[in-house]
Amino acid sequence: MSGAPPILAFRNLRKSFGAVRALRGVDFDVKAGEVHALLGENGAGKSTLIKVATGAHQPDAGTIEIGGEALGRLDPAGARRRGIACIYQQPALFPDLSVEENIGLRLEGRAGWRRVDWKERRERAKELLQRVGAEVAPDEEVRALSMPEQQLVEIACALGAGARVIIMDEPTASLTRREQERLYGIVRDLRGAGVAVIYISHRLEEIFTLADRVTVLRDGESVGTRAVSEIDEAGLIRLMVGREITHLYPPRGDASRAGSGGPALSLQDVGCAEGGVNGVSFDVAPGEVFGLAGLVGAGRTELARALFGLTPATAGRIVVGGREVEIRSPRDAMALGIAYVPEDRRRHGVILEMAVEENTTLAIHPKIFRGGWLRDGAERALANRMIGQLAIKTAGPEAPAGSLSGGNQQKVALARWLATEPKILILDEPTQGVDVGAKSEIHRIIRELANEGLAVILISSDLPEVIGMSDRIGVMRGGRLTAVLPGGAAAEEVMSAALGRNA
Amino acid sequence: MSASVKASQKSRGWLRHETVLLVLVAAEWMYFNSVGARFGTLDNTFDILRHSVEIGLLAVAMTPIILTGGIDLSVGSLLGLCAVCFGKLWRDAGVPLPVAVAGTLALGALAGGVNATLITRLKLPPLIVTLGTFSLFRGVAEAITRGVDTFTGFPASFLFWGQERWLGIPAQAPVFVVVVVAMWLLVHRMTFGRTVRAIGFSAEGARYAGVPVERRVATAYVLAGVIAALAAIIYTARLGQAKADAGTGYELFAITAVVLGGTSIFGGRGSVHGTLIGVAAIAVLNNGLVHARLPREAAGVLTGGLLVLALASGVLPKLWSDWRARRAIVAAAEKTVS
Amino acid sequence: MAVRGGEGVRRYFRELSVAAVLGLVLLLLAVVAPAFFSPQPLLSLAAREAPTLVVIGGMALVILGRQIDISVGSQFAVCGVAFGLLAAEGMAFPLAAIVAVLFGGLLGAVNGWLIAGLRLPSIVVTLATMVAWREGLRWWRQGQFVDLPDGVQWLGLSQGGGQVLLIAVAAALFVALAIGLRHLAVGRVVYAVGSDEEAARLAGLKPRAVTFGVFVAMGVLAAAAAVMNAVQSPQVDPKAGTGLELRAIAAVVVGGVSISGGRGTLWGVLAGALLLACVSPGLTHLHIEAYWSRAIEGAIILLAVVAEGLRSRKEGRS
Repeated sequence: MSGAPPILAFRNLRKSFGAVRALRGVDFDVKAGEVHALLGENGAGKSTLIKVATGAHQPDAGTIEIGGEALGRLDPAGARRRGIACIYQQPALFPDLSVEENIGLRLEGRAGWRRVDWKERRERAKELLQRVGAEVAPDEEVRALSMPEQQLVEIACALGAGARVIIMDEPTASLTRREQERLYGIVRDLRGAGVAVIYISHRLEEIFTLADRVTVLRDGESVGTRAVSEIDEAGLIRLMVGREITHLYPPRGDASRAGSGGPALSLQDVGCAEGGVNGVSFDVAPGEVFGLAGLVGAGRTELARALFGLTPATAGRIVVGGREVEIRSPRDAMALGIAYVPEDRRRHGVILEMAVEENTTLAIHPKIFRGGWLRDGAERALANRMIGQLAIKTAGPEAPAGSLSGGNQQKVALARWLATEPKILILDEPTQGVDVGAKSEIHRIIRELANEGLAVILISSDLPEVIGMSDRIGVMRGGRLTAVLPGGAAAEEVMSAALGRNA
Repeated sequence: MSASVKASQKSRGWLRHETVLLVLVAAEWMYFNSVGARFGTLDNTFDILRHSVEIGLLAVAMTPIILTGGIDLSVGSLLGLCAVCFGKLWRDAGVPLPVAVAGTLALGALAGGVNATLITRLKLPPLIVTLGTFSLFRGVAEAITRGVDTFTGFPASFLFWGQERWLGIPAQAPVFVVVVVAMWLLVHRMTFGRTVRAIGFSAEGARYAGVPVERRVATAYVLAGVIAALAAIIYTARLGQAKADAGTGYELFAITAVVLGGTSIFGGRGSVHGTLIGVAAIAVLNNGLVHARLPREAAGVLTGGLLVLALASGVLPKLWSDWRARRAIVAAAEKTVS
Repeated sequence: MAVRGGEGVRRYFRELSVAAVLGLVLLLLAVVAPAFFSPQPLLSLAAREAPTLVVIGGMALVILGRQIDISVGSQFAVCGVAFGLLAAEGMAFPLAAIVAVLFGGLLGAVNGWLIAGLRLPSIVVTLATMVAWREGLRWWRQGQFVDLPDGVQWLGLSQGGGQVLLIAVAAALFVALAIGLRHLAVGRVVYAVGSDEEAARLAGLKPRAVTFGVFVAMGVLAAAAAVMNAVQSPQVDPKAGTGLELRAIAAVVVGGVSISGGRGTLWGVLAGALLLACVSPGLTHLHIEAYWSRAIEGAIILLAVVAEGLRSRKEGRS
């Protein structure tokens, strides 16, 4: 195998989105009949790499070679034609149609006036489903399938399309132990059949079980490709997190601040069935920045949604300012002084079509607009104050939020919640997709807010950020809080806890 | 960044849309004035006003609903139902007129509440719910009148409101103005309108900001019901009679006026004054064609064309920028290959 | 590989329940008012409703594709008059019918271009074309009927023969549509586009072309229905087709087709259409006053929608 040329190769790939450099020189290749694992923290560039591989994005620089053929341009149809398939975490299936129909529509090419051969569809579906070990009837509606089952259907489609390279993006994230084993078997079968598998996963034990080689991505660069036999877990973790600290974080608060008057927020065994959160307990003191680290899917956003009343908690106790409370809606949370700046900035954090000033006042109508009457003067004054305080770069308070850069949109979202004068502020990925300058400003603001007495929960997948900003770091995994580390803890320690590896 | 371009273009285009429409109405007016002998007279203007009050009320009531991204096809049928119930309360139940008015308004609220519950509680699509109530309300009206009954014989003091003048202007005008001003304030100067727009742009985004989405949307539908009831009473006063077929086709008129006036059918963007100008555009057109001795059907054809143009003008900038973006990608790709 | 039990009943629950309600209603009529089933009136009823069935089939196609078309009533009227005028000018029936049908396709193409091509929302586009065609027709004809030449009514056959032929043609069209939706690749793509347009685009199924085609098909079927309606009288009424779109949408929705597209079958729609068609004549035979019919239709629509909504909520569908 080692002598054969790779079936897919990237050399020095670069890709930027505006100011954000997603890929800064990635070298990667995978051979037929190989399982090559791709490892890296959130934001390292994995999704961008996948999109380039499937032709959804075109790289700014670098080369793509498929089957030895150098390509100037790759589009989705071309990628499909050349046998590149990706199994995403969100399957793009037709929910109202049956499994066999979904497979048929994907594989049959252009629809015409020809008759549908249902028997053939059923046979092919049965065969493909058997190959992937899915216990799913071909005539079942996709909507009724669980997420892992839908994933298996996607894999079946890829197999049916004769894919030569199958990219799997965290395929075992929501599978049971048994389903995982079955998936490993499928991956091994694929390898045996000569398919190249690019396997993206955070689970180190999986990588060591399945993969032949592993490549670590960090900040958009490929920092090392090793044969799995030549490296161990500690080595991988070091590759993932090791970096020069170029970013200076504001000085943390001192420990004496905590404990003055009891915690602002206390969670005792909090759980939310719908969000998959279980038995989470921690306290946050006023003036403290409590970081919440963990991988995507660890349940941090779900916990935040429970605290904010969007998907209310179903178990445990929440104590705010010494009183046990029930939070059944955002209004309840807001009345308790809780504010939540959500992760999806463009869909939930701000309303793009509305002006900056309108966004700023959206959460405080009862306070600033007494009797329900709009007061332009008060609104404008507040907006201008926020623009000044947070250094929001905008054409003016009346400019639509959609005209601002990501970092400034984030500041508008923050402004909206600061206007509510909260006591507890939950920030969910506040600097995701934000340029370096705005990032520093937001960090400064967060520390200032804490110094003013706010209890801040900082959810972040940016390891240096959560380590540099937090007074304490809670690490979540699989919906549970697995560790609470002091601020400034070693990155390896945090990553190990996030990966579930005993330190 | 394209969302930003779109947004800023649209917010400028929004102002442009109503200005264009206003210019159109002015052009209509000038044309018909020059062509029709009796057109520009005060009498005729009042005629136009009288005939457009009911539709104007329905259109203005429809505006907040469409701003939330919903729709209400049942307002015309509700007008019929309320007219008939009003007549029945007064004639058969012998209830004094003011009480009958109050009862009818309450009925309108109740009917709006039916729509509201089905849409916000059961989360059913507004198009189909109001299609069902469109049939149901009209059907109940027909059942109450057994298909044939007409309520007439209202006292002159009541008919005054629909047919006579008060201080020189048609009596229903002040009522209309009061309602329109109230709605304008509600949509443009109160938090209700702000939150309704937020819901139209992004219901989930509004929810994350603590906006009580279901309550606001329900209020919009109940309000529409009350206003439809008011329109029914004025209609009855104007025609002097209440029949089950009152208001047939009015909902489509109302929707046309709203969309013509620049309100987006997807929600978020739009205005009450735009709706009013839309109503004026249609009403002046209908009336003017008669005076110009042109076929009145031309109004329908022209209105249909105008509606398409109004929609397309909203979409055209985006299509243009999409096309240019595609060409840019192709050009860039050709550069990479070579 | 286990096939979950009761799958068939669960999947076709809606169609079965509508059919069950239809069955109950027919049973009730058979017991209480057997006169409903006397052949001649029933035949006339069926022939009268046959064109509507064709339109309902087309509307099912549109709604399955996650669109809506409220201009079919106007298309119906315009094409009926066009057919009548052509026949009155001496054109032979088959040719006149074909031209009318093509004209319907053209009207549908206008909708299709605005909706699929320019991406305008279908509710407002078809509102605009509905008003434009209807008023244009009124302008042109001034409410005048079109006298059909001899030999066109009932296609020259006896009334009974003509009725049977029309019913057969309507049934054939409807069945063809049902079979096409189930067994033709392009029919399945309509479902796919209605279920998830973006996934369809990613799979290379060209959803915009499909949407365009759906509106053209609707126009063609509306025109065919108009011809079928026209030959039942000696004159063509330019006001025919009023309210047709809403009756069609009602039948489709009651029949279990989801307004958000992608699910439903034409058999359910047939049951829904028959159920709604029975309301008026059924009321007559049950000695309930006719003026209840609209209220009952409205109630049926709401019940159907609520039932669908409750079921979707249980299954966690958004």
